[in-house]
Amino acid sequence: MPLDTSAYSLALLRVDGRRWNELRRMHAQIRTQAAADGSSYLEMGHTKVMCVVTGPSEPGPRRSAVGASGGTGVGGGSGEAAQAEVAVSIVIAGFSSVDRKRTARGDKRILEMQSTISNALAGSLHTHLYPHSAINISLHVLSQDGSLLAALINAATLACVDAGIPMTDYVAACTAGSTSTYAAGDEAADPLLDLNQQEEQELPGLTVATLGESDRVAVLVCESRVQVSRLEGMLAVAVDGCKQVREILDRVVRDKGRRMVQEGTIEKGVGVNDMEID
Amino acid sequence: MPVTILAPKAMRQDYGQADKQNISDDSDDADSSNGGAELDYAELAKADAEGHTHKRPRIAGGDFEIVTPGEVITDDPQWMRGHGTYVAAGTTSIISSVAGTITRTNKLLSVRPLRARYTPEVGDLVVGRIVEVQAKRWRVDVGATQLASLPLSAINLPGGILRKRTETDELQIRTFFAEGDLLVAEVQQLFQDGGAVLHTRSLKYGKLRNGMFVAVSGMGGGGGVVRSRRQVWTLEAASGGGPIDVVLGVNGYVWISKHVETPEGLVEKTSGITNLDESVSATMYSSQNDRIGPETMREIARIRGVVTALVDNGLRVDEDMVMRGYHEAVEMAMVSSVGADDIYLGGERGEQLAAVLTAV
Repeated sequence: MPLDTSAYSLALLRVDGRRWNELRRMHAQIRTQAAADGSSYLEMGHTKVMCVVTGPSEPGPRRSAVGASGGTGVGGGSGEAAQAEVAVSIVIAGFSSVDRKRTARGDKRILEMQSTISNALAGSLHTHLYPHSAINISLHVLSQDGSLLAALINAATLACVDAGIPMTDYVAACTAGSTSTYAAGDEAADPLLDLNQQEEQELPGLTVATLGESDRVAVLVCESRVQVSRLEGMLAVAVDGCKQVREILDRVVRDKGRRMVQEGTIEKGVGVNDMEID
Repeated sequence: MPVTILAPKAMRQDYGQADKQNISDDSDDADSSNGGAELDYAELAKADAEGHTHKRPRIAGGDFEIVTPGEVITDDPQWMRGHGTYVAAGTTSIISSVAGTITRTNKLLSVRPLRARYTPEVGDLVVGRIVEVQAKRWRVDVGATQLASLPLSAINLPGGILRKRTETDELQIRTFFAEGDLLVAEVQQLFQDGGAVLHTRSLKYGKLRNGMFVAVSGMGGGGGVVRSRRQVWTLEAASGGGPIDVVLGVNGYVWISKHVETPEGLVEKTSGITNLDESVSATMYSSQNDRIGPETMREIARIRGVVTALVDNGLRVDEDMVMRGYHEAVEMAMVSSVGADDIYLGGERGEQLAAVLTAV
């Protein structure tokens, strides 16, 4: 089903009624599984994923998890590694998309997403604090509607925060596209924020993840052909989107923490301000 | 095409309102360099009068000082960074690396995470499970980031409490502890990388039997078992349950078992050290359970229900709470239709129990 791109120029509204710079509804929860070290559930529009983090813990006997990466300079024998290794595994449920596809075991696309997430998180997590250990991130895709990699990165970040693993900052991700296809020599193409499935299939797009509030890009994945003149606009929009996503993720964590303090699960902290040096 | 990025309007308004309503300390996200939010000018004036710096403005209504990863706690160089924080290269600002609450020890700032794995400290009483047997030591799961190790030299060897280990002991290492065995031990020493070394060189410690194991969250943060004066005690169970031992490992592993006379108890009854040696060797490393009556089993299961109900409802687990919870649970069972056999403490009943405990 071709996207009616002419409709966009009429009202400047996208197929789902958003403007070019609007995110879809984003909803997230942390601590969804009591038994796990860290867990999260995240929706970006109709893309729904959940994440469970185990660790940091002693690497178990089944050490062949795909996408294993322990930051820089970690060799094969992670038993002697000076840093924790971050292993990511992604399971895409059969019912997650419109057509029920069986994903092959060594699907290249999934492998690439696993290693992308693993590398991005290993860059932010303070893995040097946990030598000889492994952080296992298990991601489950329940529903797909575009921006899958971005949703997975966000869910993994939240679960790592929940697990109490020290990190430099949130790794927040989102996608951006352009209103006209590669072939169309449309000079007035607008960048679009947060693509849904339909837009992702029709239009060029890229996934960007940034480290916290800075403009430091942690992940940049572009799987389609895009005219280089449009790239800058797309990137700028995506980086701005990442900052909004970070705010949303941060809000989720704060709300949870505040509730825990109110319920008395954890003790209140002290403000740095009222501290008098004894 | 020049790109101007406009903030999506609806969203910003949403969050703006949320900020005003209940969040006091979060405008420092946007403006974290001074770590503060709304200036309380009266407060500042007072601070000035008292000769304090107003570099870090007071955070209004700072009841819930939650910091999240990447948030600048302070950029004042007088503070030292502790756990849960880092200093960005080339700056003096202390930045939080976990989500949690700030704690302060003199000039040391650290962030206690909302939840994390157990981090061992010397002197902690822990319950653990053997996962690996090596030539001269065991590897023990204590719920930490790494397996703890228990050297053969750090256990009570049979035939004398303080005896040097021999090669014979090494050969029969599995007769002391085998894979899957549970034990209670103390953290003796910590390695630089956070790994712990345990010891069981006291009659209080050693192999566990005759009971039930429960894993809840431990001292990493986020409720669960807390460090307290007494982690191990014996209680007299209701309705003919007999004495029951409860061991609250600081790591969140809990052991509830039928009370058996400890060798210490035997010392009073018997006389002479030889007898003690025999009793130690006979019972200390036995994996055979004693006979446990149905009443005792029921009360053990009830205590387990109390512990899980406490954790499910976000309450701390210590001697006081468990004892009060247990007495309350017994009362609740008495008034229920089933009677004393009603040990269910999940769902609504757990909430009811927690409500009674927090009301007092």
